[in-house]
Amino acid sequence: MADFPKLLTSRYELNESWLLSTVEKHGAYEVARKALTTMKPEEIAAEVKEANIRGRGGAGFPAGVKWGFIPKGNTKPVYLAVNGDEGEPGTFKDRTIMERDPHRLIEGCVITLFAIGGHIAYIYVRCELVKAIRRLEDAIEEARQKGFIGDRPFGKDHKIEIYVQPGAGAYICGEESSLLNSLEGNRGEPRLRPPFPAVEGAFRCPTIVNNVETISSISEIVRMGGKAWSDLSRLPRDGGVRIYGVSGHVKNPGIYEAPVGISMRELVYDLGGGMLYENRPLKAVIPGGSSTPVLRADDVVNAPGENDPLHAWQGKSHLDVPMGADTYRALGTMLGTCCATVMDNSVNMVEVARNLIHFYAHESCGQCTPCREGSAWMRDILDNLCRGKGRKEDVRLLVEIANNIMGNTICAFGDGMSMPMLGLVQKFYDEFLEAAKNGVPGSPLGDSAKELMLGSGA
Amino acid sequence: MPTFKLDGKEIPFETGDTIIRAASRQGIEIPHYCWHEGLSVAGNCRMCLVEVKSDRPMMLPILKFDENKKQFLPDSKIKLVPACHTPAAEGMEVFLDKENVRKTQEMVQEMLLLNHPVDCPICDQAGECKLQDYWELHGSKYKRKRTEPVHKPKAVRFGTTIVYDAERCILCTRCVRFCEEVVGDHVLDKRERGNKSEIVLSPGRYLDNKYTLNLAQICPVGALTSVDFRFKSRAWLLRSAVSICAGCATGCSSYIDYDPRTYEVYRIRARKNMGVNKFWMCDDGFMSYKLIQKYRVKNGVIRAAEQKAVSPGDALQAAAKALSEIEGKRIAVVLSAQHASEDNAVLAQFAREVLGTEKYYLAAYGGWKGDKILRHSDNNPNRAGAIRVAGRGLAPTNELLKAAEDGTISAVVTLGPAGEEKLDQLDPLQKLSAVVSLSSNIGAFTEVASVVIPVAHYAEMDGTFVNAMKMEQRFSRALPPPDRVKPAWQTIIDLARAMGKELECGSLEDIRKRMPSAQAVEAEGSNN
Ligand SMILES: Cc1cc2nc3c(=O)[nH]c(=O)nc-3n(C[C@H](O)[C@H](O)[C@H](O)COP(=O)(O)O)c2cc1C
Ligand code: SF4
Ligand code: SF4
Ligand code: FES
Repeated sequence: MADFPKLLTSRYELNESWLLSTVEKHGAYEVARKALTTMKPEEIAAEVKEANIRGRGGAGFPAGVKWGFIPKGNTKPVYLAVNGDEGEPGTFKDRTIMERDPHRLIEGCVITLFAIGGHIAYIYVRCELVKAIRRLEDAIEEARQKGFIGDRPFGKDHKIEIYVQPGAGAYICGEESSLLNSLEGNRGEPRLRPPFPAVEGAFRCPTIVNNVETISSISEIVRMGGKAWSDLSRLPRDGGVRIYGVSGHVKNPGIYEAPVGISMRELVYDLGGGMLYENRPLKAVIPGGSSTPVLRADDVVNAPGENDPLHAWQGKSHLDVPMGADTYRALGTMLGTCCATVMDNSVNMVEVARNLIHFYAHESCGQCTPCREGSAWMRDILDNLCRGKGRKEDVRLLVEIANNIMGNTICAFGDGMSMPMLGLVQKFYDEFLEAAKNGVPGSPLGDSAKELMLGSGA
Repeated sequence: MPTFKLDGKEIPFETGDTIIRAASRQGIEIPHYCWHEGLSVAGNCRMCLVEVKSDRPMMLPILKFDENKKQFLPDSKIKLVPACHTPAAEGMEVFLDKENVRKTQEMVQEMLLLNHPVDCPICDQAGECKLQDYWELHGSKYKRKRTEPVHKPKAVRFGTTIVYDAERCILCTRCVRFCEEVVGDHVLDKRERGNKSEIVLSPGRYLDNKYTLNLAQICPVGALTSVDFRFKSRAWLLRSAVSICAGCATGCSSYIDYDPRTYEVYRIRARKNMGVNKFWMCDDGFMSYKLIQKYRVKNGVIRAAEQKAVSPGDALQAAAKALSEIEGKRIAVVLSAQHASEDNAVLAQFAREVLGTEKYYLAAYGGWKGDKILRHSDNNPNRAGAIRVAGRGLAPTNELLKAAEDGTISAVVTLGPAGEEKLDQLDPLQKLSAVVSLSSNIGAFTEVASVVIPVAHYAEMDGTFVNAMKMEQRFSRALPPPDRVKPAWQTIIDLARAMGKELECGSLEDIRKRMPSAQAVEAEGSNN
């Protein structure tokens, strides 16, 4: 197995790694001390910009650029909201940071707040992650007692407070504007944009929303400098290392730290230890959480054009394209949260679609007509296909619905549910046609459950 | 004024306008459900999506079926923007009449109907329902969903005035926003997620604020209906007359909706008037339609030894006779803060020219609880108008009672059903030799009068109210008055004639010309 240096997960294996007394001996808060006592906020922001770190929450937006969106001459308070909702199916990396090295996140918050001119950070944690919430709260208390946060952190006249907010128990609360509504005590529904959160976020004040892993990377960026961090990556404009996750039919599911730009093949076969069963080869991978369109193991790159961003991998397997925000977009999918779900040839892709759409229909906040109605409509169609009640037209209808949800909603949930549906139908059309004819044997809805769900509209 | 183009047509706009608002000002409706001129933008129905021309449009990945290859291939489409949330900008080119926009509207429309019960035949909204209107324009397709629709609560009583049907609800949140933003009452909200969402009352609350009936009007579908109007008529059977609410001194612009076959009034609705009530009315105003046809005086009454119902003409003759026998200076006149300025003007002229009296009073209701939204604490529609046309000070009715008590007056002519006093407080009037009451509705005055002459209700005449902001507002006749009944101003001319005097009033226009007035605001119709 490839051995990558550990930066973000370096303290995971320490005994009682969540205690300040443990991690202080291994460099915790060194960078925060240096940043607050010797650096100017602009200098820190410049390093983060140079680090080319793309947001780790899914959309891959450059964090340094986002920080720059706070309006010049702003006189309102600035907030940091750390997104620890981690609701994307298949994703389980942020919780490891919060549970095993909460001080790394808190140190990141301190540095970030200083850099963006903010005094208060909210860490919005998925409510089911009880251990993460408790460890963060304890860690904040330890840091306060040491004087790392509070009125004068490290003696610096820059008050810093950090609060943990347990989430409202809905996937949509991970969407940043919804998170802010929920944080304010309102219904967790996405807001219309503009205004974007960096201009008008929590309590109508400029707010930077970043993922847990993004903020946890800040101390290492400042420690080594933006350029050095950026160079850790194998790709341009997409810097550093990140925490990959792999689950499904692999021998060693789990999280692995590695540079940006390793290939899916490395993730599955090296880090993940290869396929779980010798006789069941890889069929497809959902690369970065359920919203990212599936990759087919047997697809090859077709980019004959010199200027095509994927030209360098012409003729190679999709699995060999480096995992980066831009490369994966060019591949027709998204890097997302970088937590891959691996499926061997025992998996029926119509059943995958059905499984996913049940999640989306359940989690749609229900504001926008296309998302609210379309998600449940697609769910009903896929239920029918799986239980052998489908028709050939249903497959086309499925695509028509997804095509029409795409881009027509308030938040990216609509796109995040249409893209994987379209990806599955496009890449596994035969399986959908087969399901339309004969249903999906072995699907929870196939065979015996056929009648059970009849007429389920709810 | 800056302009943008909508399907090639120049649309002027003001800074801060969204595309939909600027278009609506030009009378162009961009299809919408959740947007309402008077509420914040929710942007949730997605019916208003339009294409805005751009050099570098945002492209979205979709799929297209290739009939030759018999498979789906990647395709892309231009991202549309919501017209309700996109600011108009100089030189912008917006497309509504375009295939991709129409297809999107069709899909939104189709989706809204997936779980809708389509119970139009028993729905009060039918005929004025956006779902129906847009189905004609953008849908007209059969349902393609083959599973059972979602079932949700029906006929939920939200309070005494409003019933909610969650299956008909399209979750546009107009109702939630109205209560929150206009009334300041967080009584409605949404519960659940996805297509199980529904509108609910706040725990422990009922819809009991003073503005609930606006909800029946602004709900774009038949989800919120008025308990009062439910199942009584069909929208297409009704005609609307532009009017002014007589509930209080705010003078909200209204429509009176009646059945032209029977002239029965079914409801009052709020009419847009940005200078007064914007888009709203209060519940008392909505319900005041009942007074148009209930508790009416339709015949004359002569109370001598025993009470007699007589024709309006006989009552008029009796009144003329009684008044002729009394010295004019000893006859008081009571103008009405509830009657049109025209009625009051002619009564004042009658007092001057026929009676020559100096005794002028004003009957006005004693007020109700006002608020900062619409309700004025003066629950009379035309106090300012009556005072203005009298051209002199008007004493309150309690002084009328004193004058009757101490014998300074011998008779009185009252306009309108009542003043501040209740019936038992009017005992002193019993001492007078004649009490002539001109009224459309039963009230304390009609009960104590020796002669009652029926006159037209304000809904049955053209007239003017002057509201608390001193705006003269014209209203027009919605209905004919009852048989042989005329507006008070005409009745007073007749009364003078019966007393042998000709009042040189001329036509309604002539009366209006002589009324001391600022610029009158003509009633205008506008639907939202
Ligand atoms: C439906 C939906 C759910 C999301 N859930 C999460 C989440 O659980 N955690 C997260 O960090 N970002 C989530 N995001 C992305 C956030 O909106 C936002 O882009 C991110 O938190 C920004 O942080 P980053 O720039 O550091 O990635 C979600 C987005 C959508 C549309
Ligand atoms: S797209 Fe879906 S989840 Fe997002 S705001 Fe609309 S209804 Fe809610
Ligand atoms: S009840 Fe009517 S106004 Fe309220 S959300 Fe439903 S459809 Fe909209
Ligand atoms: S009118 Fe509903 S989204 Fe614009």
